[in-house]
Amino acid sequence: MPQLNPEFFVSQLFWLAVFFTFLFVFLWRVSLPRIATVLEKRQNKIDENLSSAKELQEQAMEIEKKINDQINKAKLETDEKIKETINALQENVSSQLSSLDKDLEKKVSDAEKEILKSKDDQMKNINNEIVNITKLTVGKITDIELSDNELNKVIETHKGNFN
Amino acid sequence: MAAKDSPLKQFEIDPISNIELGGYNISFTNSSFAMLITVLVITLFLTLTVSTRSIIPSRMQLISELMYNFIAQLLSDTVGDNGKRYFPFVFSLFMFVLIGNMVGMIPYQFTFTSHIIVTFALAAVVFIGVTILGFINHGIKFFTFFYIPGVPFYMHPLLIPIEVISYLSRPISLSVRLFANMLAGHTLLKVFAGFVVSMPFFTGVFPLAFIVALTGLEILIAFLQAYVFAILTCLYINDAYHLH
Repeated sequence: MPQLNPEFFVSQLFWLAVFFTFLFVFLWRVSLPRIATVLEKRQNKIDENLSSAKELQEQAMEIEKKINDQINKAKLETDEKIKETINALQENVSSQLSSLDKDLEKKVSDAEKEILKSKDDQMKNINNEIVNITKLTVGKITDIELSDNELNKVIETHKGNFN
Repeated sequence: MAAKDSPLKQFEIDPISNIELGGYNISFTNSSFAMLITVLVITLFLTLTVSTRSIIPSRMQLISELMYNFIAQLLSDTVGDNGKRYFPFVFSLFMFVLIGNMVGMIPYQFTFTSHIIVTFALAAVVFIGVTILGFINHGIKFFTFFYIPGVPFYMHPLLIPIEVISYLSRPISLSVRLFANMLAGHTLLKVFAGFVVSMPFFTGVFPLAFIVALTGLEILIAFLQAYVFAILTCLYINDAYHLH
């Protein structure tokens, strides 16, 4: 087996030492720091982006909160306005209703008064007619002339019987 | 078996240029050349793909980052925060073994991880480093690593030698695992490649199909062994911090 031939052991060890040492030093000093800086740069970039994303998210949340606050405020204001309007309308309606009621009552009472007045008038007219008719009838049947006062007195005393 | 057709011939080392230093033969060989290719591939890939340093990575840059994160994750999972200091070493080890295995998958290309001396040297570096780390972190208390708490006292004379032996055999198991996997895989590929040539008529298609499937398996093993090498290194580092 050529592996066990010691002829080239020293040569192999020598060149192994040379090449491996060179490789080790080169990677240690040149290649690996380069890759490390690239990876670090990328990590920094990622962290930066993540933090800015977080910041933006926080800002967005703040804005959303503000919007919600404003919406709530607007809702409250609208509710207040609606309540106010309803109250005002209700007041208006009730005042108009009460004034209408008053008008109606007045009209009813006026009408009642008028009816009473016309009733009285009618009654007076009836009295006069009765007086006239009685005068005429009595005058035709007898020759007695009755005065209006006498007749009125009689009618007054018998008024209860007519009604 | 004739040396020319031996499936082990692919593991033979051929010097490309003969160099001698202080009486030692340090010739630049095909093994050294494979190491050179491996180191070039790793350094060029990791440098060029990340050269733009773009925040949104290209596909190639993403591969480099995936490898980085893969080992970083492995270390933080096994060792924790202490592991960051050893990241360059574990990463180099993982990439060196992984790309060494992958370069070996190129036909006619030498696989230096199939040489026990190479894998043993890597495992020895890990073993010695971890042992020194253990003594730095715990001083003389590091020896309590071999003492298993919660075991009946009469078991200790048996268990402590077992623990010591298992600790000392770590570099051997670590290196032989990688070396044997590579050796076996490449030998098997070579044996079946020999069948393709030697079988009559069109029947050579069957071993050829087997080679294709086996190549896929070998690429998987190449990755798996690099991963195992890295994760065991992480576990050993963890042991040096947390003795049991």
